[in-house]
Amino acid sequence: MEKVKRRHFRKSVLLFLGICGTIPLVSGCWDRVEINDLAIVTAAAIEKKEDNQIELSIQVFIPKSLSSGGGQGGPGGGGGVPTTLVRSEKGSNISDALSKLQSKIPRKIFWGQCKVFVFGEKVAKEGIKEHLDFLLRHPQPRERAYVYVSKGKAKPILESLPPLETYSGEVMRELTDLHIGMRVTLQNLDEMLTGKSHAAALPLIDILPPGKGEKKLQGIPYIVGAAVLNKDKMTGTMTEKETRGILWLRDEIESYTVTLKPKGEKGEISLNPVSAQVKLVPQIQNKKWKLLVKVNTEGSVIQNGTNMILSSPKALKDAERSYQKEIEKRIEMAFLRTQNKKADIIGLGRDFYRKYPKQFNKIENHWNEIFEEIEVEIDVVAHIRRQGYIDKPAGLPEKEVKDK
Amino acid sequence: MIRNVSKLLRKTKEKKPHIQNNYQDSKPEDPLNGEFSQNVETLRLIYDNCSDVMFRSFLLFGKTRAMLIYIEGLSDIEGIEEYVLSPLMQESANVPQPLNDFLVLKMPVSKVKRVKMIADCIESISIGNPLLLYEGESDGFSLGLSKWEKRAIEEPVAEGGIRGSREGFNESLEVNTSQLRRIIKSPALKMQSMKIGKYTQTTVAIAYIDGLVDKTLIEEITIRLERIEMDGILESGYIEEMIEDNPYSPFPQILSTERPDVASSCLLEGRAVILVEGTPFTLIAPVSFFSLIQSQEDYYQRFMIGTLIRWLRYIFMVLSLLLPSFYIAILTFHHEAVPTALLLSMAASREAVPFPAIIEALIMEITFEALREAGVRLPKQIGSAVSIVGALVIGQASVQAGLVSAPMVIVVAITGISSFMMPRYIAGIAIRMLRFPIMLLAGTLGLLGIIMGVIAIVIHLCNLRSFGVPYLAPLAPLKGKELKDVLWRSPMWMMDTRPSFTGKSNVYRQSPEQGPKPKRGSETE
Repeated sequence: MEKVKRRHFRKSVLLFLGICGTIPLVSGCWDRVEINDLAIVTAAAIEKKEDNQIELSIQVFIPKSLSSGGGQGGPGGGGGVPTTLVRSEKGSNISDALSKLQSKIPRKIFWGQCKVFVFGEKVAKEGIKEHLDFLLRHPQPRERAYVYVSKGKAKPILESLPPLETYSGEVMRELTDLHIGMRVTLQNLDEMLTGKSHAAALPLIDILPPGKGEKKLQGIPYIVGAAVLNKDKMTGTMTEKETRGILWLRDEIESYTVTLKPKGEKGEISLNPVSAQVKLVPQIQNKKWKLLVKVNTEGSVIQNGTNMILSSPKALKDAERSYQKEIEKRIEMAFLRTQNKKADIIGLGRDFYRKYPKQFNKIENHWNEIFEEIEVEIDVVAHIRRQGYIDKPAGLPEKEVKDK
Repeated sequence: MIRNVSKLLRKTKEKKPHIQNNYQDSKPEDPLNGEFSQNVETLRLIYDNCSDVMFRSFLLFGKTRAMLIYIEGLSDIEGIEEYVLSPLMQESANVPQPLNDFLVLKMPVSKVKRVKMIADCIESISIGNPLLLYEGESDGFSLGLSKWEKRAIEEPVAEGGIRGSREGFNESLEVNTSQLRRIIKSPALKMQSMKIGKYTQTTVAIAYIDGLVDKTLIEEITIRLERIEMDGILESGYIEEMIEDNPYSPFPQILSTERPDVASSCLLEGRAVILVEGTPFTLIAPVSFFSLIQSQEDYYQRFMIGTLIRWLRYIFMVLSLLLPSFYIAILTFHHEAVPTALLLSMAASREAVPFPAIIEALIMEITFEALREAGVRLPKQIGSAVSIVGALVIGQASVQAGLVSAPMVIVVAITGISSFMMPRYIAGIAIRMLRFPIMLLAGTLGLLGIIMGVIAIVIHLCNLRSFGVPYLAPLAPLKGKELKDVLWRSPMWMMDTRPSFTGKSNVYRQSPEQGPKPKRGSETE
């Protein structure tokens, strides 16, 4: 009995070792790709060309540029090796262009680390649906990659060599992560387009021209606002300030600075938010569609240019009142602008559908027209916390400080 | 105490009829003859061509012919001269009668034992006890005057520590048993001994605490030890391999230690300790996987640091098993699984490397193992040279030459360090060995291969038994309460029970609720 067991065990050990030993000899390992054989795409751009063709540009990382260490092109430092190269190819769609691109690049194109997709303005205006399908269907591109629309051509954005970051795709990603503009991933975009509102907003990027003495390519991309997409077609743009208002309505606001001018005061106070909660309450009253926006925010003072002492309750109340007014103004302006664009990029459709599914189903086909007519009511509760340890404005003689 | 041991020694000796000694004429089973000269002749024949065996003949009290047989270097020469020869060789008119009683009662030697069989004579002589034969007496007398050179008690080399006893076992069995007895003074500490090895006749003692240990365990160990029939036992490793539950497993199912405190703590948990003559390494059985990765210092230091260090060890155990494999898998299959910046710098560093990641990793790991082995075997003076060559060749030159990438060197270095984090050297060996098949799996199947390898190891560990105790106890089978000494190290005052698999016959090891609390009721006084 014991011996049989032992033999059995020895057999299984031999089998295990045998399997381990033969696996390397098997010609399988079909998806094994050494990292040396990869062309790591760091950003991609899609543009419209003549003859109904599109142009796919990819930004590929050059490993050699980093390997010698410290050999990177610094700002103004001449002779630096670029860390990326940009190749583009035309085709009837992305996959067609991609297969042509592959023949121009000796390594296997790898999308797994591509976190930036830029659509050219022209292609965005004609519709991005078919391109989205490729990006979402292909297993490699990340659903969490950020999507942008470029002002004008998209390829120069990839070609730019930013002085601070290693490549321009990284610049865009970092900028987006700062939460100052829209932040839309492939997945968000898909959800927005397939959701109830059939509209989406994408961050709009442009190239900041290079400074004096910098090389031509050293301009960096930056976010200038948002592109409004109705269905999958771009219909208009919004400025940065308006985008900020949209962020309020989408409850995505995280870092902002509100500068306000209290009534009857000279100078301004700037505030940074400590917290901000936004609640959208859809209402249908007497067949009228209404939206109640409830904002609850708290800010901390970062600059006080007035001569008010913010530690005194009266002055604080004044400042808070204008703080509320300011936020109200911003949100209202942004909301009116989106209504002008006839695109529900806030995602109100979903909110209405959740609360009034029957009514919404009836009007779903002309939701955009209803959206245009929606009345908005904004209820802001804004408080100033953290006036700062310096309660009196700095740099003012005692006498000029308002006491009460 | 030595008497105690040798008493046990004789008891177990009788149970072993199947060791056959092929001495020429008289079988060792034969009793001594009544004839003095014939006995001497028999022994002379047995010790033919043994130049180290001394036959000293003299006249007992000037009248009776006597013979003292001993082995040079094993017996206390001065003792023989002072306590045996000089009093016995005094010529006196009246020879005390009866002579044998006089010898036992009056000779100033602590241990005098009558031996009747030839085999016992041989045993007595070979452990250094001089044998006294004289005319007119059919029994021999074994005199407890053995004394041989032994190493002093030194600090254990392979199991160092900051806090705790600095004594280690040494090669002498008596010293080792005495160290245990010095720690555990209760007579419940039992030591059964037996002789194993046809030629070496190595004494092996099973130590356990009566009342704590499972009796069947001792029976099982005895049975397994008695099964051993070999020429010699030179180290406890021989025995370990002969009595293991699963000889083909890479994991040791018996713990070896050279620390008396570790052995004692295991005894107190109801385990058995097997001491082997001639080696400082004693065996402990049964053990679980977790006792291999616990250090005595976990208990000597305060419980928080004990717990933290234990976690650190767990983390690095996993690292030492899987880190190179993970690196290979990510480099060859899962390029999307790491942050972009990390992938880019890995890609940059690997740009000039001519080998696939798996080959690169194997080269480095094997080189590292070779360096480690060379460092162990070489004399100390050359050892430093090896480490310099290793550090320069592996660490720098190979990276600069573009043969290996710098991240791979880091990975191998971390793996190397973490494999030495195992407090028990043998536990580290198992993990170091298993690293290689998993690396192959990672290089061919990626993360999938790693997971398959880990699953295979876990299945194997679940199957493994150490003297009937599940190897992964108390994790599998899960004993929630006993995780107190596995996932973390509970404070001393909370560890009230013994591990259930070894100490079930006596559950509590201390009275509960001894946690130090502020004194109460001072106001009432």
